[in-house]
Amino acid sequence: MNALILIGSPKGRNSASYVLGSMLAGYLQKHGATVSEEMVHHGIRSKDGTDRLLDAVDASDLVVFAFPLYVDSLPAPLTCLLERIAERRALIVPTRAPRLAALVQCGFPESHQCDTAVGICRVFAERTGMRWAGALAMGMGGSLGGDLKKLPGGGKNIFRALDMASESLAVGGDIPPEAVGLFAKPLMPRWMYTAFGNLGWHMQMRKNKTRRPMTYRPYAQG
Amino acid sequence: MRDKLKALVLDGSRDGDDLTPIAVLGVTSALSERVEDVEWVKLRERTIAPCAGCFGCWTRTPGECVIGDGARDVLRSYVGSDIVVYVTPVTFGGYSSQLKKMLDRFIPVLDPRFTIVGGEVHHRLRYRRYPKTIGLGTLPSPDPEAERLFAGLVSRNGLNVHQTVESSILVGVTDPVSARDSARRLLDRAV
Repeated sequence: MNALILIGSPKGRNSASYVLGSMLAGYLQKHGATVSEEMVHHGIRSKDGTDRLLDAVDASDLVVFAFPLYVDSLPAPLTCLLERIAERRALIVPTRAPRLAALVQCGFPESHQCDTAVGICRVFAERTGMRWAGALAMGMGGSLGGDLKKLPGGGKNIFRALDMASESLAVGGDIPPEAVGLFAKPLMPRWMYTAFGNLGWHMQMRKNKTRRPMTYRPYAQG
Repeated sequence: MRDKLKALVLDGSRDGDDLTPIAVLGVTSALSERVEDVEWVKLRERTIAPCAGCFGCWTRTPGECVIGDGARDVLRSYVGSDIVVYVTPVTFGGYSSQLKKMLDRFIPVLDPRFTIVGGEVHHRLRYRRYPKTIGLGTLPSPDPEAERLFAGLVSRNGLNVHQTVESSILVGVTDPVSARDSARRLLDRAV
């Protein structure tokens, strides 16, 4: 079984999407799949890169979009890839119907804020002759930098959910509902995430030696 | 609202898209009947890089993206508008990549700190006022699932600026007069 993980974050290997996508790749390999990874934002910049992404999709049995929620949906480069895949699959009768799964994380605490993006992925699969295999979505993505084992609870729900999902995906199944529920579980109380988040913005500004106040209004009409 | 009302139309049409330009014509025509200044931004003709996800617009140059391209002019215009209309082919229930490349660059208009809106965590507002957000999608044929997702997406985008919003979808509309009439009804509901 050939699986392709498409990393949809512009931060590439420095992103939470890459951390999660790579972990899923590891679990898929453990369950017998052959896995490759591609960075969408790099590939989509050129015709050759886009063709390479499209060929990789065509050659896969399972495609996984791993991406951060951007303004309630998929980042623009990944949206562009969806358009290109749909164009190709409309022009050339596809010989295969890869399965599609999604791995989504958002910077807000509530995992349900990813629902629209997951819906877009599902409709995309249905309209392009791919088979929808489900999605894992989580909130509190801002806490995913670095070693996941240092997260509250050791990140065990994330590890368990990815393992369960990959076990099913590797044999042609869908992501089990139990994995969806585990992955969506909050990593910490909401108040704690927002308090640390707000503090984090100030600390980042101090680190960057930012001169403007956080509340600066460059387009001051408003 | 200001003395002289301004509307911004973000045209997310793609090459070869016959329907969205008709919707743009319709909505600019309907807006001209009630707003003095209508600015139409054809996004596919603007050089706008994808968001780099660096949060520099919050922690390096607050309020302004670190990428100095055409998105800055659009954001300046957005903040100075009373109405913004997103016009786009409905793309699997979402926006086209042309519109999305701009919307991903909208986060500088927000303050990074968190607040609660409608029971959910969102970001605080940077400005005192924001244009009324309206979504106008196009589809070649009915697609209830995509239509439902699109309405939900526009609604969620409204929450980001602490607003309730209106949206509509023109299904198979190839006539600018029909598009204008539909846009009038949408504007009646929205503003």
